[in-house]
Amino acid sequence: MKTHPSEADLALFAGGEAGRLSRFFVNRHVRECRECMDQVNQFELLRLELREFEPPPHDWNRLAAEMRANIHVGLEAGECVRLAAAEQRGWSPKLAVALASLLLLVGASFLLKSPAPNVAVEQKAGAVLESTGSGLELRHGNSSLTLLNHDGVAADQTVSAQGEIRARYVDGGAVTINNVYLE
Amino acid sequence: MSIWNRALLLLALGTLPVMGQETVLDPASSVKIDLPENSPLALISTNMGDSRASNRGGTIVLDLHMALTLRNSGARRVRGVTLLITAQEFAPGGKGSVARPCIDVPSGEQFTVPVDIRLVRPVQQAGGPLVRVQLDGVLFDDLSFFGPNRLNSQRAMTFWETEAQRDRAYFKHVLQARGDKGLGEEMLQSIARQAERPQLNVALSRNGRATGSIVPQGVAAGEHVAQFAFLKLPTAPVQPVEGWAEIAGNEARSPQIEIVNQSGKPVRYVEIGWMVKDKEGHEYLAGSVPGSNSAMLLPAGQHSRLLPDTTLKFSRTGKPVEIQGMTGFVSQVEFADGKVWVPSREDLKSSALLRIMAPSPEEQRLADIYSKRGLAALVAELNRY
Repeated sequence: MKTHPSEADLALFAGGEAGRLSRFFVNRHVRECRECMDQVNQFELLRLELREFEPPPHDWNRLAAEMRANIHVGLEAGECVRLAAAEQRGWSPKLAVALASLLLLVGASFLLKSPAPNVAVEQKAGAVLESTGSGLELRHGNSSLTLLNHDGVAADQTVSAQGEIRARYVDGGAVTINNVYLE
Repeated sequence: MSIWNRALLLLALGTLPVMGQETVLDPASSVKIDLPENSPLALISTNMGDSRASNRGGTIVLDLHMALTLRNSGARRVRGVTLLITAQEFAPGGKGSVARPCIDVPSGEQFTVPVDIRLVRPVQQAGGPLVRVQLDGVLFDDLSFFGPNRLNSQRAMTFWETEAQRDRAYFKHVLQARGDKGLGEEMLQSIARQAERPQLNVALSRNGRATGSIVPQGVAAGEHVAQFAFLKLPTAPVQPVEGWAEIAGNEARSPQIEIVNQSGKPVRYVEIGWMVKDKEGHEYLAGSVPGSNSAMLLPAGQHSRLLPDTTLKFSRTGKPVEIQGMTGFVSQVEFADGKVWVPSREDLKSSALLRIMAPSPEEQRLADIYSKRGLAALVAELNRY
């Protein structure tokens, strides 16, 4: 391939979604083209970052309880108005529609409550232990545990292939060694 | 306003506060500190500093900056302590530790251990303290040990103390042989080595590719098996025989090394230092590869090999470091009787290791004393031992 592959082809290649023939040609090209290789790497990193991004989980139980409480308040307020108005106009069809809508909303909140999809994602993604400038971070799904260097001091970091990273720093005349283990 | 409108307004007003709410929690109640009843250390105080805990959009964010003040309530001098840090129900059972090596705390004296943790987790898993701090071990001046040792902290602290004794003896020898000026020159060299030592950032995962790999999925064929070269230290009781790892770009998978016990004693633990060379020929200390597992007992003359199922990804200043070569050397050996071997200063000096390896915690501490308090303070410190 004498010309550079298109940006779209490189993106598909980085994501493993290029066709067999396209993959062959792009693969052959990027092996010899530093510029395209860099672009493929950038797409790959971006894809990984996007894969890791997850919206924060909502506390559906709490949301449902809040909604139920609000509905009670709404019903009681509606009752007060209804009693006052009943003497003048009798039964109101609008109120019935409002209450039916609210009940529908409560039902929907219960249906949306299940956290199961998040659990599945967490189990699929593996834990990653990483040394960063500020400390040692263990990430798993949308949870993370970080042992920080005290006051952000620079630390010497070493890794054991057995599954741990160690960060060591001197602060106030004493040595502190943080260790995080990947189990 | 009609009943319809009032009901909707009430519903809307009631629902708004639950969206994007941040609740401030009590950080002190988020931590539980446990010391065994017969512990030689007593907890005197816990300073929570500017610790914060909050509930943000269904996620608990805990920022702990604690200083634990402990007292040596035993009879022997304390040379090291390790605290086990666990985050409740944190999948997949991740845990950490904070250690204070190279201390010298007489009976009845106090010392402080800083614990700085950030924990982020979904709120639905909450219940009870989020973080637990327990004593994993205490090392005394006679190298005896107290504690549950769940993290093998006895071994780690014994290695640190042995290196500390080696380096104190070396610098005392320099002081005697070359005087204050010679010691000052050694310290300046040590500080320069620490500043110049190239460092790598590492991401580590099990069973698969590490996050942030530069290897595109379509170029998996670019992987190859690379053999370790070995730097043989003449005094090492164990020698590496052969070793390799799967290399792809900046990733190394499942590094494994075969070793042979050349000493006359059974060996319980071996660690191989691991250096990598990048495309430009720069060498870095990448870390270590275990030559044994915790259940191993390697008799004299026997071979052993361990295959860690980890993937390591190397980077430097945010850029991937592609691996061109690997070198291994024996860095730690523990015998079945609990005695340990570490490379001598001569071993380190006669190879490139002194430049590449991290200094021992004690050398780092002594260099810090020299740079912050001067030569007289360093000489006084060396003379304490």
